[in-house]
Amino acid sequence: MAIIETADLRKVFRSVKRRPGVGGAIAALFSREYEEKAAVDGITMSLEAGELVGYLGPNGAGKSTTIKMLTGILVPTSGSISVAGLVPHRQRLENAQNIGVVFGQRSQLYWDLPLRESFALLRSIYDVPRERFRENLDHFIEILDLDEFMDTPVRQLSLGERMRGDFAAAMLHDPKIVYLDEPTIGLDVVAKEAIREFITQLNRERGTTIILTTHDLADIERLARRVILIDDGTIIFDGPISRLREEYGTHRTLVITLADSYEDVQIEGADVESREGNVVRLRFDRRRTSAEALIRRAMERYALSDIAIVEPDIDSIVRRIYREGYTEGAIGSPS
Amino acid sequence: MSVVFSRPRFRLEPYVEFAKVAMAKEATYRFDVFTNIASVLVRVYILRTVWVALYAHNAAPSELPLHAVITYSTIAMLMSLVMDIDQTRILRDSLHDGSIVLDFTKPMRVPLYFIANGTGEVLFHAVLMIPALALALFFVHIDVPSFGTLAAFLVSFLLGYSVGFCINFILNCTAFWTLEITAVQFIVTWITDLVGGELVPLVLFPAALQNVLVVLPFAAMFSTPLLIYVGHIPPAQYAGALGLQAFWLIALGAVSVVMWRLGARRLVSQGG
Repeated sequence: MAIIETADLRKVFRSVKRRPGVGGAIAALFSREYEEKAAVDGITMSLEAGELVGYLGPNGAGKSTTIKMLTGILVPTSGSISVAGLVPHRQRLENAQNIGVVFGQRSQLYWDLPLRESFALLRSIYDVPRERFRENLDHFIEILDLDEFMDTPVRQLSLGERMRGDFAAAMLHDPKIVYLDEPTIGLDVVAKEAIREFITQLNRERGTTIILTTHDLADIERLARRVILIDDGTIIFDGPISRLREEYGTHRTLVITLADSYEDVQIEGADVESREGNVVRLRFDRRRTSAEALIRRAMERYALSDIAIVEPDIDSIVRRIYREGYTEGAIGSPS
Repeated sequence: MSVVFSRPRFRLEPYVEFAKVAMAKEATYRFDVFTNIASVLVRVYILRTVWVALYAHNAAPSELPLHAVITYSTIAMLMSLVMDIDQTRILRDSLHDGSIVLDFTKPMRVPLYFIANGTGEVLFHAVLMIPALALALFFVHIDVPSFGTLAAFLVSFLLGYSVGFCINFILNCTAFWTLEITAVQFIVTWITDLVGGELVPLVLFPAALQNVLVVLPFAAMFSTPLLIYVGHIPPAQYAGALGLQAFWLIALGAVSVVMWRLGARRLVSQGG
């Protein structure tokens, strides 16, 4: 059974239209023109309990707005939402009991308090039975290595330590659903890995349903099997990462290093993607042109000192979709 | 658009915890604690000097003899320890930095959280009134009223404090619409100082002005409890004076509720 369901979810914001310049700013003091923008424009999705879904999109695509509606902070303009059988914006308090939230850019820990006291406050807010609280806390202290800074005021913690604390804070009440918004932003490699490991465990061992928004596509590759891509407030892709890779991974890149200087480099069957000095990146469709033929043509025409073929990673695939838009099956198919 | 949040079982416990934490937090700012008390003492001393000088060169007003006006000023300065706190600043701060969004993801009544936090801070400062009073007695002699008067003063102080709390809450609620409220806050503080009777007892103002000022909510904050303390408001007028304070508390309490609801509605429809 679906634990999160939205149907034709929309959210329209009204904002003051700004006119340029000082004159515009002064005029805006007295009369204001408004413009409406749909941040989320008809999103229909369904998540099964226990799923871990990557929710992706460029800045301003509507990711945060969706999450805010799912958490009950924002009232949708139209459409419906159901989260664990509740309507979040009507049943905010009950819904809050079911969810955990980690916003990478913000902390829910109390700045002046040591972690230990923040956790005790959260126990009281969520009314977690003391025994269960103890168990969870011990568990999180162990797997997130919180022991050494449990009694340090949060403001003195490093970003990595604080994030680990934030993760524990969001999970102490055994939420069924967890929203993670950029949870690894600004973290170093080691801290990122610790957080990813924790997310994996949470999902696998506790069966927690997780929605993860991030710009770090390594997070997605490592954690999510399913991705939902949104742009301009609408879903442009919803499916397994493997399908995204198949449909969009049609293009490879041939990287050649020229041994001589050439004014203009052109090879039939490939497009020049970029050129930096002697290094030229050529993009080609592997279904139309074979790498072998391409290399042969390159070698016939130019003197080369190095050759490499680069497979597309999820990052470049997503970048391409943001740039070109998504058309199912159409992009890259031979015509 | 109606925003109906259904209400599960209410528990007081978390709000008591918030208040306790806020209280403990205030205590950790030791430097603030000392400067607070020191500033009260300095003001008590300066006001005493000013009043002594003024009374020496002018005919003393029959309403307030010198010892009464010094008592008045000293008690006013002690009251300011709790009255001058920006109790619900945390509401403004969390609107500024957007963390109010996280507050709304928790199963708690957000305004009660802000109120509990402010109450905790204020309770700590209330405790500071005791050492501040003890030290002030080195500079000034103050009148000690009868038990009945003292009781009426305490009730009136509590009402006045609550009126001040509402005004502060309403001001901080304006941050839902405009993030720049410093100017407004400055003006209100200035007005309160001037026409609330904190610095200059309202009975020393011209009669016509006095009649207007005494019915304003600012007078309910400082002037009413202080005039009860020094005996200018006799027991026969307690009911009327306390009644007027209660009226302001109810009125401003209602405005607070409306402001919060409108602000929260804006937040849930427009985002943080």
